[in-house]
Amino acid sequence: MSDQYTNEPLLDMFLFETEQLLEQLEQSVISSEKESNFSEEAINEIFRIMHTIKGSAAMMLFDNIAKLAHSIEDVFFYLRKERPSDVDCTVLSDLVLEGIDFIKTEVDKIKNKLPADGTADALVETMKGYLSQLKQETKPETMEAAPAEPEKQQYYISQVKTDTAECNKIYKAVIHYEDGCEMENIRAYTIIHNLKDIASEITYVPSDIIDSDESIHVIRRDGFQIFLKTNLDYRRMFEFFNQTIFLKDLELIQLEHDYEFKKIELDHNKIPALNDMVKELKEKPMHTERTDKDTVSTNTAQSIISVSVSKLDKLMDLVGEMVIAEAMVIQNPDLRGLNLANFVKASRQLSKITSDIQDMVMSIRMVPLSATFNKMHRIVRDMCKKLDKDVDLDIIGEETEVDKNIIEHISDPLMHLVRNSIDHGIEIPEERIALGKARNGTITLEAKNAGSDVLIIIRDDGRGLNKDKILKKAKENNLLFKNEEDMTDKEIFNLILLPGFSTKDNVTEFSGRGVGMDVVRKNIEAVGGTLSVDSAAGKGTVITLKIPLTLAIIDGMNIKVGKSRYTIPTIAIKESFRPKEGDIITDPDGNEMIMVRGQCYLIRRLHELYKVKTDITKFTDGIIIMIEQDEKTVCVFADELLGQQQVVVKALPQYIQNFNKVRGLAGCTLLGDGSISLILDVARMFH
Amino acid sequence: MSDLFDNVADMEEDTQKDRYLTFVIASECYGIEIKYVTEIIGIQAITEIPELPEYVRGIINLRGKIIPVIDVRIRFRKEKKEYNDRTCVVVVDIKDISIGLIVDSVAEVLTIPEQDIVDPPQVNKASNNKYINKIGKVGNEVKLLLDCEKLLTDNELESLSEVQ
Amino acid sequence: MKKVMIVDDAAFMRMAIKNILVKYDFEIVDEAENGQVAVNKYKEKKPDIVTMDITMPEMTGIDALKAIMAYDPNAKVVMVSAMGQEQMIMEAIMSGARSFVVKPFKEDYVIQTLTKI
Repeated sequence: MSDQYTNEPLLDMFLFETEQLLEQLEQSVISSEKESNFSEEAINEIFRIMHTIKGSAAMMLFDNIAKLAHSIEDVFFYLRKERPSDVDCTVLSDLVLEGIDFIKTEVDKIKNKLPADGTADALVETMKGYLSQLKQETKPETMEAAPAEPEKQQYYISQVKTDTAECNKIYKAVIHYEDGCEMENIRAYTIIHNLKDIASEITYVPSDIIDSDESIHVIRRDGFQIFLKTNLDYRRMFEFFNQTIFLKDLELIQLEHDYEFKKIELDHNKIPALNDMVKELKEKPMHTERTDKDTVSTNTAQSIISVSVSKLDKLMDLVGEMVIAEAMVIQNPDLRGLNLANFVKASRQLSKITSDIQDMVMSIRMVPLSATFNKMHRIVRDMCKKLDKDVDLDIIGEETEVDKNIIEHISDPLMHLVRNSIDHGIEIPEERIALGKARNGTITLEAKNAGSDVLIIIRDDGRGLNKDKILKKAKENNLLFKNEEDMTDKEIFNLILLPGFSTKDNVTEFSGRGVGMDVVRKNIEAVGGTLSVDSAAGKGTVITLKIPLTLAIIDGMNIKVGKSRYTIPTIAIKESFRPKEGDIITDPDGNEMIMVRGQCYLIRRLHELYKVKTDITKFTDGIIIMIEQDEKTVCVFADELLGQQQVVVKALPQYIQNFNKVRGLAGCTLLGDGSISLILDVARMFH
Repeated sequence: MSDLFDNVADMEEDTQKDRYLTFVIASECYGIEIKYVTEIIGIQAITEIPELPEYVRGIINLRGKIIPVIDVRIRFRKEKKEYNDRTCVVVVDIKDISIGLIVDSVAEVLTIPEQDIVDPPQVNKASNNKYINKIGKVGNEVKLLLDCEKLLTDNELESLSEVQ
Repeated sequence: MKKVMIVDDAAFMRMAIKNILVKYDFEIVDEAENGQVAVNKYKEKKPDIVTMDITMPEMTGIDALKAIMAYDPNAKVVMVSAMGQEQMIMEAIMSGARSFVVKPFKEDYVIQTLTKI
């Protein structure tokens, strides 16, 4: 999720919270569907989430979302109350998931500053229909609130110590509320409730304010009339009524006699006093919302706060600048040659603390993969339904953490890979049984740490990749760069990652457009990762993503080529040395190579590669750096090594990146003297 | 030249309307809407990036932020010129993309009311015409007002044709 | 300056109310995500006014209201509810809530309610 979508914090909060709730909701629905049962806990959770989304959406004037959420809320309100036993979980899940999808789409529109103009009217109607159906099917229990008894006399007998003999003042009050204050009947009730303490007899019109919504209209039209007996003087009573919230108009008359009072009493049926009715209501707690423990409890949320990612980014930048500033202090030319034991000790301490802060800030940006992995459940469910296949999704190592920036780029590729597995890999149940496999296919999503990388492995037990088909397609599209016979199995499988490739004869709705795997690879490479494919015919396919833990700070070796500065990730450097004339070989094509301990390596002259002017063109004047990536090694030639340091990686400006020509640069960094060093993208050195 | 800008930077949004920053390239005077300009700095060390169109000179470090710089002279197909102490970098910001425009020198901030702005003549001359979307009349001088968005975003086709 | 505590399980709602109140003579002394926390914080911070959402997990707004009223009979609690929760509002009024606002609410309604209680 990106940090700030809009300039309005309230809208941001709405989008953030709604997305979170929708994710929670989706998980809840899917697991309930799997168990074929909506537990009380789940129903409560779903009810509450829909209620919250309804409220927030209404506040932000997204009425289409609010309306839909309301209709789903109504369904779950009913389910909560009645707990019917024979609910069709699949039907219900489908409906709710459809609702979730609609809201997700609208939220996406809002995030992209597009109008949220979708209508879910059809779905709302379906929900209402579903609810009526439910109501007909279940036996109506008399848990209905508010006694169905008609007109009651609202005749209150005081419980107050006020001596009734002294309550000789009679008042008539007519109250008009401001338009739009809503629930005038309840507001009216509030007045009556508050009058309890100061009046001995009260009667009012309309009388059915508690159980009838009709009374709202009467109050709006005619005002709320109250007759009461009290011992308080006019001024006090006026003050009392004047405090009514949303009071538009107050008419207060002190009456000489209680004829009118009595007349109204007689008009009403004599039924239990308000007092008793109040007692009754209190005894029927049908709306207690005692919920059980939450699944994703808001309790633990207390120990977590949400921080805007832009703040984190700024913090990272500052930490980066601190690292540079620290270097400028400690490596300051002014200090050269001085013997400063205490200074050295203190600076060591400073370095340690800076390093700790750096580690801490980076760990803050680390986010577990669980959210991303859990999204796959929905994908699996939908795919299985559409294709009539049965697939179980196993998730291992979801607590593995990855930099926040990277997570965003993994989601789509993962989705595509999972879809691919189910679409092309996993066979239909009948076929699997015929092959002696388990009826349900299994897809395993595994994440684990491997040094400074995270490995994400997507494994399925489907039919595997077909080498021959792949080779054939590659030939058709002119993608073969080697002789068929010379290719290893792995190389053949990895052909599918090349652009313009697809073995699926028909483009299905989900995959096989020939842009799929290539796009996946690009996305992974965009975050500095790699992708590899392996397979065994009939057994299944394994796709391995290797992703750096963080892009933000790397250990780099700064080098000089002419006036330019470059940085090579230390992890890629095997060794560096000044070559001897005799070690250099030039082949007939003009390629320069070097012999190191019996092995021959290609040399790339950086000044030629990056067209930099430098005086150092003789190998023996400069330095050779051997770099390695993915079992491939190459030697680069530069002027000299400047030193190793931790560098904060900054992305090249988007404007520059838009020129696709910029290959071989993974970003840039600021050196201690303020100059910019370009970070080499080692993987690209091999083309 | 930066104090020229200090006042502008303090201005409220609405007082930036109709105001243009004018600068000179090869004796022609251009203007861009002040609302796009974030600051003006003197020319400083540029880190070159290989294999980019000639007018994209590279990137600079602006107080920790990495900003690409383009040489407007080269962009407008004028002869390349050595940078001197009058050369400025006008930093503009559009849709969160920041770019530095290298210009010969910066002139002033002018107010050019709408009625003094006309459409450019429809001549299919040098390509730099397409970046000029309006002409502003100031006294008896003419300022060529640039379409900032086009200048910044219209690079795909350019880069392809140049490299070919 | 009246001290207010905002109780609602939705961060969005809390922010929405806060945004309104800070424009007027109200000081937000704390926020709570569920009833139980609200009760504890009430005892700690002793705000002048509490805005209380009705629908919350762990402990509902009504129960939290009752607990607060039991602790401090003079507490001023305003319920925040949605349309259709009339019964619950009434129960709240009967249990001592001073008034209520209905979602989606308008700024002046919230302010009027909180000023007049």
